[in-house]
Amino acid sequence: MKKFSPSLVSRPNTVFILIFALSLTVIPSMLPNDYWQSVYAITGIYVMLALGLNIVAGFTGLLDLSYIAFFGIGGYFFAFLCSDHFGLHFPFLLAVPICALVAMSAGFLLGLTSIRLRGDYLAIVTLAFAQIFKLLLLNLDAPLNITGGVNGIYVFDAIKVLGFRILTPEHYSTLIWSCALLVFVVSFKLKDSRIGRGWNAIREDELAANCTGINSVRMKLCSFATGAMIAGFAGAVFASFQDSVFPNNFDFQQLVVVYCMVIIGGLGNMYGVIAGAVVLSVLPEVLREYGGLRMMIYGASLVAIMAIRPQGLFSAIPALTRVVRRPDKEETGVLKASTDLYYSSNETPAVRADYSRQDREILVLDKLSMYFGGITAIENLDLTLHKHEILSVIGPNGAGKSTLFNVISGIYQPNSGTICYRGRDISHLKPHKVVKAGIARTFQNIRLFNEMSVIENVRASRFCRTGASFLSIIFNLRRHRQEEEQTDAKAREILAMFGKRLTGYRFRQNVSQLSYANRRRVEIARAMGSEPEILLLDEPSAGMNPHETAEITEFIKRLRDQYGFTIIVIEHKLSLVKAVSDRVIVMDHGMKICEGSYDEIAGDPDVIEAYLGKKGKRDKTSNS
Amino acid sequence: MSEHLFRSFMRMEDLFAQLSQQAINGLTIGGVYALIAIGYTMVYGVLSMLNFAHGELYMVGGFIGWWVLQLFTVKHVPVMNGALLISLMLVIAMGGAAILGVVIERIAYRPLRTAPRMNLLLSSLGVSIFIQNFVLYFQGAKVKVFHVSQLIPDGLRSFEIGGVVVSFMRIVVIFVCFLLMLLLTLTIKKTAIGRSIRATAQDIEAAAFMGIDTNRVIVSVFVIGSALGGAAGLLVSLLFTQVDYYVGLQAGLKGFTAAVLGGIGSIPGAMAGGILLGLSEALAVTFFPSAYKDVVAFVILIAILIFRPQGLWGEKLREKV
Repeated sequence: MKKFSPSLVSRPNTVFILIFALSLTVIPSMLPNDYWQSVYAITGIYVMLALGLNIVAGFTGLLDLSYIAFFGIGGYFFAFLCSDHFGLHFPFLLAVPICALVAMSAGFLLGLTSIRLRGDYLAIVTLAFAQIFKLLLLNLDAPLNITGGVNGIYVFDAIKVLGFRILTPEHYSTLIWSCALLVFVVSFKLKDSRIGRGWNAIREDELAANCTGINSVRMKLCSFATGAMIAGFAGAVFASFQDSVFPNNFDFQQLVVVYCMVIIGGLGNMYGVIAGAVVLSVLPEVLREYGGLRMMIYGASLVAIMAIRPQGLFSAIPALTRVVRRPDKEETGVLKASTDLYYSSNETPAVRADYSRQDREILVLDKLSMYFGGITAIENLDLTLHKHEILSVIGPNGAGKSTLFNVISGIYQPNSGTICYRGRDISHLKPHKVVKAGIARTFQNIRLFNEMSVIENVRASRFCRTGASFLSIIFNLRRHRQEEEQTDAKAREILAMFGKRLTGYRFRQNVSQLSYANRRRVEIARAMGSEPEILLLDEPSAGMNPHETAEITEFIKRLRDQYGFTIIVIEHKLSLVKAVSDRVIVMDHGMKICEGSYDEIAGDPDVIEAYLGKKGKRDKTSNS
Repeated sequence: MSEHLFRSFMRMEDLFAQLSQQAINGLTIGGVYALIAIGYTMVYGVLSMLNFAHGELYMVGGFIGWWVLQLFTVKHVPVMNGALLISLMLVIAMGGAAILGVVIERIAYRPLRTAPRMNLLLSSLGVSIFIQNFVLYFQGAKVKVFHVSQLIPDGLRSFEIGGVVVSFMRIVVIFVCFLLMLLLTLTIKKTAIGRSIRATAQDIEAAAFMGIDTNRVIVSVFVIGSALGGAAGLLVSLLFTQVDYYVGLQAGLKGFTAAVLGGIGSIPGAMAGGILLGLSEALAVTFFPSAYKDVVAFVILIAILIFRPQGLWGEKLREKV
């Protein structure tokens, strides 16, 4: 029953590996002449480029328009290192990694300056960088001839790889497609790792990713640099193959071609991207007589795909996508009405402990104030939270409750006052650091990673509790393997707490397919994934029906009683507040107006006034 | 000693003349940048999107002007009054660009109104590529030359004021730029459609609830922005007497830089940003090789985006959580 127990680590499609292997060995010897050999080789280059861009634009969602410049940097550095231009004659196997590293460093530096910019700003800045790069290529031939200007640099050393001389296009085809295979494997490994999940999370919702413990600046930089490295690598191989480099090899049109490949294939869909690269490299050769129309068609197809099928053309092929439906069979294979399967056998996990409130204070807010311009959102708020306590925050709309969460979780920096968590001042920490310290949150208006599956959402939250490096992931070292196993086990354990609602076939369902209540549950599960001590739940029952509210009420109690979380919950439904809270804080106009047990605050005249207005006030207004 | 002083004084005077010359050049090109920037800023104001294809409207404006010029000249001699022909070119270029802008909005942007912003951006990139290569395919890569010398009466081709040479065309460009900016300011401030545009830019949903036809506002924003972009393209082509299919990309980047410099979304900001950018570029040419002129703009752009993304006069925006 594969559907019920998805394998731990997904591996590249065997069929796909076979196709790759075939393309390495059989196809080069089948092609009729050198012309088609070189088309084939160039296709391999494009596959590499598209896979690299897919990491930046597809996995991470960064619109990087300087990508082609890194391809150029790789190419030109190869020209510097392996030709008579500077009289340097590095061996191929040394020169190519150097080119890739140089491109990566360039990508890193460029990223440092611009990675904090959002979406379209990033696009335009990277476009400006690409233009500067082109200007430099064209103009750095005088006074000192560095790039060769318009004429470029040509005639490089004949290369040797592990003793084999690479001379004919056929040799190059094999070499280039081996490199493409390497890039494919690397990007596959990355996709299914903590880094890949971090990238995807950032693409889906950067703020939520931050609040799940992902350092988005660092991960975006990492993505940018990885893309640049692959582009530089491809550039070096390309330069050697073409035996020359010109500024025109690296201009805007080339960038658009690579973008079209990635987009036609479907952003983030690796098989699709490869197919896109192959189709768009071979098709223009077949339709040569329409060559002039080529770029026009590319432009039009970008517009059309974005309007009609933004997920790319190849996602329609069933083998490449998996739609997860509710199964109608049990694990044992017995046919069953799916709803029965859905709700039956609600085995509750064994009670592990019975936690109750302790007197130890773990979170202390001292005179916290937060202003937006002239508006006071929070003023002089003092608050203490004890270990294993459930504290409810209530108050009318605009009382500053969500702002309180935003300040605690590091989204806003308070204007004055401090937040101490276990004696440590966390008031100026970035959101991902707050999560790492042990405080995780949910959002009032659900911010899940929509195009990721249920289990991936929870796995993503393990980011800050794992630390496998890039190399560890690529070489599948022990640290990575152990962490992956642990991540998976933890994610399953957490989701199992919600009973059958989020387990089984649901693991692989996209969260966008879930019901509203289930999405709220996944959000709580995601917050639990980083093993926080304190959970901040922002209106967990909003939009739920009475039945579901009762269920979530029970669950919040269980979160403390069985699993030992300390919880602050913002809620409007007083039935829930009454059922769960040890203590209630009432806020109005950014100030704490009352504090105590539910019964105490329910009788407080200030609270009644805040909710219902002042007695007699109505008469006054009606008089006037 | 005194001779040395005298010589350095001469050099100072030289420098001064050169600087004023560059200031005039900067003002001209700055006015053009401002016109382009207005298009970016207005579209950004109502749709919060970056219209990558805006630079192509600039290019198309230049090309339309060239066709009109070809149509109404025989062997480079105009068949009508020069001033009339220039006005005709301007009107047709603006009209053509406006129509194109509306078509782009209808085909490429409206279906994506609710889509993720990245899709919108890629779509506009696609439009840009399409227009560029459409012109390349049907008009060729060769530079189109404007033979405008016969449009201007003999005695008026250029003036010299205190060592500074100003060509007649430059005065035309400055005049038209500022006239258009004045007209735009009046439209935005005084007319009903201007009020709707301002309301829509503040809050598109609230504007719709108040009975404003926001689709119409969006269309009119594209009309105004594209017409100004087309006008800018024509003016620059007249000034440098040439246009080719590739000028849009560069001009678009400059216009965007100007818009960001002034704070994107703000029309007065775009005007000021354009002129500031033009002046700084012209000044840079005084000190650096002109091949790197464009680098100046890009460095300004990058610096502004990194250190003051809200622009010189813009207000800081906070992401809503």
